[in-house]
Amino acid sequence: MQHTNNPGKGVRIRPIVTTLIVGIVIPITLFFGTAHMTERKYYIISLLVIIYAMLPFFIAFEKRRPKARELVIIAVLSALAIASRTAFFMVPQFKPMGAIVIISGVCLGAEGGFLVGAISAFISNMLFGQGPWTPWQMFGFGIMGLLAALLFKTGIFSAKRIPLSLFGSFLTYFVYGGIVNTGVLMMTNLPLSLSGLISVFTTSFMFDITHAAATGIFLFLIAEPMIEKLERIRTKYGLVE
Amino acid sequence: MRDTFSTLHPIIIFTYFIGVIAVSIITMHPILLILSLACSAVYSVYLNRLKTLKFFLFLLPVFLFITLINPLFNHTGNTILLYISGNPITLEALVYGLFSAVALLSVILWFSCYNVVMTTEKFIFLFERIIPSLSLIFSMILRLVPKYNQQIKIIGNAQKGIGRDPSRGSLSARIKNGLAILSILVTWSLENAISTSDSMRARGYGTGKRTSFARFRFDARDALILGAMLLLFATIIAGALGGLYTVNYFPVIKIDLVSPLSFLVYAAHTLLFLLPMLINIQEELKWRRLKSKI
Repeated sequence: MQHTNNPGKGVRIRPIVTTLIVGIVIPITLFFGTAHMTERKYYIISLLVIIYAMLPFFIAFEKRRPKARELVIIAVLSALAIASRTAFFMVPQFKPMGAIVIISGVCLGAEGGFLVGAISAFISNMLFGQGPWTPWQMFGFGIMGLLAALLFKTGIFSAKRIPLSLFGSFLTYFVYGGIVNTGVLMMTNLPLSLSGLISVFTTSFMFDITHAAATGIFLFLIAEPMIEKLERIRTKYGLVE
Repeated sequence: MRDTFSTLHPIIIFTYFIGVIAVSIITMHPILLILSLACSAVYSVYLNRLKTLKFFLFLLPVFLFITLINPLFNHTGNTILLYISGNPITLEALVYGLFSAVALLSVILWFSCYNVVMTTEKFIFLFERIIPSLSLIFSMILRLVPKYNQQIKIIGNAQKGIGRDPSRGSLSARIKNGLAILSILVTWSLENAISTSDSMRARGYGTGKRTSFARFRFDARDALILGAMLLLFATIIAGALGGLYTVNYFPVIKIDLVSPLSFLVYAAHTLLFLLPMLINIQEELKWRRLKSKI
């Protein structure tokens, strides 16, 4: 047991930070943004709100003073997600990153899933090139990991191959695609309407569908053995709580 | 070519890029956006040479696409150019699309400079004290990714040795062998993770403050440049609050391009956007002067 670790603290801090952000910071941003900015206000406000939404996870994680094992497991899963992306870089958008993020969510829980998603998106952009898309991708993958964890807990889908891969494709296309395509809509300054969003979805259809298919295929092929391996590590070393 | 701007303290580099990117995102003012695009292109070509020129070939269709898709979905504006399947295509929307493309391109080019100048080492140095655990994760990942890529090769060779070559055989056999490699990698990396974390614990991780080695020092030159940069930012923010950025594209384009104060803001922008190049030129001149004296 490490005496510096205090799991209770993080649990208490996250609701406080979240309440502060949702109750005070976001309304102030919305008010100031809509009142004082003329052009591009939606882009800037949405960018800020996305960043605010990610902060509670990072702050709570830092304040909790995570154990060495937690750090290492998050680092290893993110590194696997990125390394597997390099392994398939010849095929655009055919990357197993989404699959590994969902598996992390299922095995590590909501916080772990979010962190693996957001961190692997951030670091892979650090290696392949940061851009205006970085916050949207971080948020997209983070939410994917989070949702996988939460929905797995409620028992809406099981860790069996087929439901998991169908669910993964759905999450990749609609949740990740939805977030990133909204970002594209903002960045290209298209009118913020349903038809605008649909136009982005249609233009990026091949991209998104390949990505969703990749997540589904990889989940079908690697989810069961990988979850098994993580379970084994958990029982052998008491790694993931 | 040496880039002197890269030798400044990471905090300056980071603030600079956050600043120029924010400025390029916030405004839709045509002159400011063109300035941003031109200066980012110059700096990017200076840093990346041929790579940026190749990158332009890739960006050109993106540029045209954004310019042309805007008038297709945005029908506001008074000056109608033509009708496409009953929908009006307006000059205002076309111009708006053009400058949206300029804005996005300049941001992408600033990022292409950021990716060269702000190395991972500098980023981790900067955030180590603010987010220690996450920074540690970041540096671990940056180490693990090349390690895994190497390990993939080692495992692949070993598999080849026992007749499971992932690059030969039928498609299903290849996929099976490829997945075997991935599976071995996962097991290996998880076992490895345990020994890493045990080693960290044995060395007292989490018992005290972490020390770190850094080669960055905040010196007088950094202070001077930071001061100049903040002054430029202040001028720009004052200009923005004073309404100099206000541009109306719809229903008719109404832009206040020329006023005595706006020139001050243009000058501040130009200086800010060219700051890295000015520092480089100054260093180059100094270098030449010193050389000719010998």
